[in-house]
Amino acid sequence: MAAAGFAAMIAAMLLGSVGIQPDWVVKILANHLSRHNIFSPEWEANKEAIIWTLRAPRVVMAYVTGAGLSLCGILMQALTKNSLADPYVLGISSGASSGAVAVICYGWFRFAGAYHIMFGATLGAILAIVIAMKVSSVSNKVTATQLVLAGIAVQAMFSAITNAILYSSTTTSDKLRSAMHWMVGSLASASWNTTVYVLIISLVCTVIIRLFHTELDVLMLGDDTASTLGINLRQVKIGVIVLCTALTGSIVSIGGVIGFVGLLVPHITRSIVGSAHKRLIPASVLTGGFFVVICDMLARILAAPEELPIGVITSFFGAPFFLFLIRKSRNSFGGKNG
Amino acid sequence: MKLTIQNLTYSINDTVIVSDVGLNIKKGEFVGLIGPNGCGKSTLLKNIYRVLSPDAGSIYLDETDIRTMKSKELARKMSVMIQENNVEFDMNVLDMVLLGRYAHKKMLGNMTPEDYEIARKALEEVGMAEYEERSFLSLSGGEKQRILIARVLAQQTDFIILDEPTNHLDIQYQFQIMDILKSQDATVFSSVHDLNIAGYYCDRIIVMKKGRIIHCGAPEEVLTSQIIDELYHIRSEIRENKYTGRKQVYYIPNSANISTCAVTENL
Repeated sequence: MAAAGFAAMIAAMLLGSVGIQPDWVVKILANHLSRHNIFSPEWEANKEAIIWTLRAPRVVMAYVTGAGLSLCGILMQALTKNSLADPYVLGISSGASSGAVAVICYGWFRFAGAYHIMFGATLGAILAIVIAMKVSSVSNKVTATQLVLAGIAVQAMFSAITNAILYSSTTTSDKLRSAMHWMVGSLASASWNTTVYVLIISLVCTVIIRLFHTELDVLMLGDDTASTLGINLRQVKIGVIVLCTALTGSIVSIGGVIGFVGLLVPHITRSIVGSAHKRLIPASVLTGGFFVVICDMLARILAAPEELPIGVITSFFGAPFFLFLIRKSRNSFGGKNG
Repeated sequence: MKLTIQNLTYSINDTVIVSDVGLNIKKGEFVGLIGPNGCGKSTLLKNIYRVLSPDAGSIYLDETDIRTMKSKELARKMSVMIQENNVEFDMNVLDMVLLGRYAHKKMLGNMTPEDYEIARKALEEVGMAEYEERSFLSLSGGEKQRILIARVLAQQTDFIILDEPTNHLDIQYQFQIMDILKSQDATVFSSVHDLNIAGYYCDRIIVMKKGRIIHCGAPEEVLTSQIIDELYHIRSEIRENKYTGRKQVYYIPNSANISTCAVTENL
C-alpha cells in the first residue's frame, strides 16, 4: 500500500497540461530533497518549478489530507462506537471551514502569526464537535439516528455561517470561487509553506494515536466496559477530541471541506485488517493517502482543462457508500439500539 | 478481597433506585443477588463498578474507598462482566481477551508475551482455545459470553462482578459458565436470574426489592416459598434436589388452579 501510494504520487505529478518525462520527476525530487544537484538538470527551469513548487506540494498535501481525514474518522468512530461517524458527517469539517473563513475575513487571531487560519479552523472544529456530540448522545450513548441528524444540522448551520461571512465580506468576483473552495474543497492552493506545517501536525498526531492504540480498542467496546477495563474515560475522550480537531482544523484550513474520506477509508480497511487499532491505523493512513491522491488526480483530469473540486470526487464515491451503510445499519434505526 | 457497602443511595431524577443499601462480602465468598425486574440490581452493581456514582454512602474494597482509586488500579482489583450486545466493530477473539490485560499494561507499553500467555490460558480455561483467530461478532451468544468470561479471567482480579452472566443462554452454557466462575479463586458477586442456579452455586444470596435489601442469607434460608411469593407473586414448592443435595424451587403457576396442599402431596 505504501508502494502504491508512492506510485500514485509520482503519477499524479506527471499528469497535467505540461508534459513531463517520468524520470525527470524522480530526479527533480531527489535534487530538492537532498539539496544537491545529484542529477544534472536536463530539463527547463519552468518545468522544474511546475514539479517542485506546484505539483509536489499539492500531491503531498493530498496524501496528508487523506491520511489525516481517515485517522479522524477512526477517532470519531471509536469515540461514538458508530461506524457512521466521520468529521464530515458530523459537521466538524464544516465547523473548521467556518472558523477558517471567519479568521480570514475578520482578521482574528493575528497573534498566531502564519498559523492563524489553522488556529481559527481548529476552534471551529472544537465548537462543531462539542455541539454534535451533545446533540447526538442520549443518556451517554450515541445512536445512529441521532448521530446522522445532529451531523446534518451542524453541517447546515456551519455552512450557512461560512456563506454568510463570505458573502458579506468578499468582493463579487471572489464570492463564488471562495465559497466553492470552502464548501467542496480544493487542494489547488497547497504550497510548501502550508503543506509542511500540516504534514508535521499530521505526523505528530499519527504517532500519538498509534501509541495509544490499545486505549482506542478499549474505548470502542462501549463506555461502561471501557471503564471496567481500567480506562480513564474522561482523559481519553478529551485526548481523542483534541487530536481530532487539531487534525481536521489543520487539513480544512488548507483544503476546505473534503467529504466522506474518514467514513469510506476506515470502513474498507476494517474489512481487510479488522478493527484492532494496531493494524487499522497504519492501514488506514496508507489507504487514505492513496485514495485522496487518486481523487485529486481525477479532479484534475476529468474535466480538463477545468478542474473539479476534489470534494465532488470524494463525495461521488463516499455518498453512495454512506447510503449503503445507513441501509445496512437499519436495525439500529428505531430498532433495539435506536 | 472483601467488599463493604455502607448506606448506599442512588436516584435518577428524584426517583430513588437504590435506597440505603449496606452489605458485606467476605473474601472468597460467592454471593448472588436476586430480585424482580427493576428492583435495582443492575444499578447497585453499576455503583460498585463505578459506572454510576452514588448520591450518598460509600463502597470499600478491602479498606480502600473505591472513589479514591485510579481507573487502572480499580481494574486490577475488580473485573466486571456485563452484557455486550452493542459492539459494532469486530475484532478477533484473542485481541478481545487481551484487552483484559489493559489495566496491567504500563502507559504506552505493548502487550508482552506474558500477557499473550495469560490470555491464551484464559481462553483454554473457558474451552475456547481453538477460537483465538475467529472474529468475535461471528460467535453465538454462548460463545461470546465465554469469551467475555475469558477476558475477566485474563484481568486476574481478586474480585469479580457479574450482571446476569447466564441470561439468554442455553441451559448447557448456563451451568458451564457458572462452573467456570465457581472454580475461580476469587470473591464473586453476581446478579442471578435463575433461582435454582443461585441456589446451587451461591454461598449466600442477597434479595432486593424496590431498591432495598430485604433478605440476606444462605440459599436454604432465603429460597423459601414465602420469600419467592413476596418477590415474584408466584406459588412455589421447595424441595431438596436428590442429585445435588441443594434446594430446588418448583413453581406452581396460578393457572394450574390447584391448592398448594394438593401439590405437596403429589410431589
